[in-house]
Amino acid sequence: MFKKILIANRAEIAVRIAKACREMGITSAAVYSDADKESLHVRVANEAHHIGPSAASESYLVGEKIIEVAKRIGADAIHPGYGFLSENADFIKKVEDSGITFIGPSSQTVELMGNKTSARTLMKKNNVPIVPGTTEPIKSVEEAEKTALEIGLPVMLKASAGGGGKGMRRVDKIEDLKESLERAQNESLKAFSNDAVYIEKFIENPKHIEVQILGDKHGNYIHLYERECSVQRRHQKVIEEAPSPSLNGELRRKVTEAGVNAAKACDYHNAGTIEFLYDQNENFYFLEMNTRLQVEHPVTEFITGIDLVKEQIKIAYGEKLTIEQKDFTISGHAIECRIYAEDVDGNFAPSIGKIYHHRLPSGPGVRVDRGIDVLSDVSIYYDPMLSKLITWGKNREEALERMLRALGEYQIAGVKTNMHSYQWMLNHPRFLDLSFDINFLEDDFIPLLPGKWKEELPPKYDEVVAILASLLKNKDSKTKPQKITHSITNQWEN
Amino acid sequence: MNDFVVNTGLEDFNITINRSNKILVNDNEREVELSKLSDFSYLLKVDDKVYHITSEKNNSNNYSFFIDGFSYDVSVRTLLEDKAHELLKNKAKDNHSAVVKSPMPGLVLKIKKKVGDTVEMGESLILLEAMKMENDIRAASSGEIKEIRVAENSAVEKNEILVVIG
Repeated sequence: MFKKILIANRAEIAVRIAKACREMGITSAAVYSDADKESLHVRVANEAHHIGPSAASESYLVGEKIIEVAKRIGADAIHPGYGFLSENADFIKKVEDSGITFIGPSSQTVELMGNKTSARTLMKKNNVPIVPGTTEPIKSVEEAEKTALEIGLPVMLKASAGGGGKGMRRVDKIEDLKESLERAQNESLKAFSNDAVYIEKFIENPKHIEVQILGDKHGNYIHLYERECSVQRRHQKVIEEAPSPSLNGELRRKVTEAGVNAAKACDYHNAGTIEFLYDQNENFYFLEMNTRLQVEHPVTEFITGIDLVKEQIKIAYGEKLTIEQKDFTISGHAIECRIYAEDVDGNFAPSIGKIYHHRLPSGPGVRVDRGIDVLSDVSIYYDPMLSKLITWGKNREEALERMLRALGEYQIAGVKTNMHSYQWMLNHPRFLDLSFDINFLEDDFIPLLPGKWKEELPPKYDEVVAILASLLKNKDSKTKPQKITHSITNQWEN
Repeated sequence: MNDFVVNTGLEDFNITINRSNKILVNDNEREVELSKLSDFSYLLKVDDKVYHITSEKNNSNNYSFFIDGFSYDVSVRTLLEDKAHELLKNKAKDNHSAVVKSPMPGLVLKIKKKVGDTVEMGESLILLEAMKMENDIRAASSGEIKEIRVAENSAVEKNEILVVIG
């Protein structure tokens, strides 16, 4: 087995990978920027190596530095986590050439699937259904307009190199196409250093369903069932569950089979996710493949009992899968809520500051994957996700009850978080009766901003907090609670 | 005896503190007991019920509390402060000028308006890039643009004044 793994990431996912290393007796080596000198991922690793200034573009995104450190410290493998360099084929190629093992698929596979247009072409060839649209990047505004009119508006513009909502635009009117195309190309260029954008039909009110697969280097494939991630804001997932509560046995068989076929088509090895849109007529359409570990992997770990990070490491080392499809089935139900440092009522502006108080939830069926601890700094440099709260129950109801209980226990002071908004989401009739789709938040929550969503919740602790406020103010002269300055937000920013 | 006017965002309360453990909330008597667990965490007993609350003081009139998954931004004033506040609020209504500040550090990509343009509240003024996303900065009030204090391709700090609307 590997002796030392360099973790080319930060925050909760770097912590998660370090835990797997520790369980397997592998030395974990963290890398950190100036801003992360004391971050949790540095605190939990066996080794820590400085790689540059705070800006990700000068540290976590500089592949050469990371490979150089890996060579110098004698790491035999690099785990990329998600984001940053995880789906950068050039970086993976350089890792392969350096003789260090990349914990993930080959650079050829990543290049093929990371380019959304070539992925669409390959899927089409292998009978995995794709959304109608182009399989080539758009070359001119005129061509885009012609295609849009052919497949019918509304259409989506998407970055060929994209993911995570960046470089993605919806177009409803043909006269908006030119500006949207420019913006999508601009964003794409900045996020992925590539301005290629393609066009596809906009699917009305679909759900987002994705299949988790594992493939080894010996041609063995299994799926770990599906996740539903329909609760999203601006294409960023907010709540994820496994299994999907929207599918029956036959639909589940169909989508997981399509997932395995997609993985086989690109000769995939590693953990991977095939994302599908699921429309109101029970059709699945291939959306994209994520050739890495996903943020929401813990819900799958909860319902299958399989440790995805350990499997990734074993597969990268060249071991054969020891689990067969018949060895496991779905056990219970799991839900994940992403905890972000943001001001929901200030148009979700990131909230920065220091974590002064951090009380973790615990008890039956509760897991927290986090990148923060007391006195961690939440800076402007990185993604504002602080942690993920995941609960498991014997069915969806119990998982939900535990989530609400755990959210009640979880306390963070120092930055604003989105935690309160989960009370609205998880109690909403559309979330409970499964009629939600990927537009749920856009349709039902966003119009209630700022603040009106709180009026839809039963008043609960208003009197209690009013009492506390007056008591604190009354003895203000005697005891002075710590003063904190928050990031001020502009309510018209969006 | 001290009287306070408290607003929780949804409700208003009049609270009178007589002795430290006996208070009146909208004329209902409550027995309270407060324990400070840390600078940010309190245990509050109201009659028989017990609550563990996270507390952050924003300034002498505003607190943020977090309890059982619910967050509250609470304003609290003494009776005297409340009267002064009402007076100031009425005065502010007569004054239309407003500044648009940058909600976060970022890069100004595009300025969509020029000095002298009339804008509606909510109209897009500036395209700001932050956290790799392009964000529309919109007018916080309607009026005429008096001043634009930034240039395209310039970096701005959080709370930097971008535009003045008169």
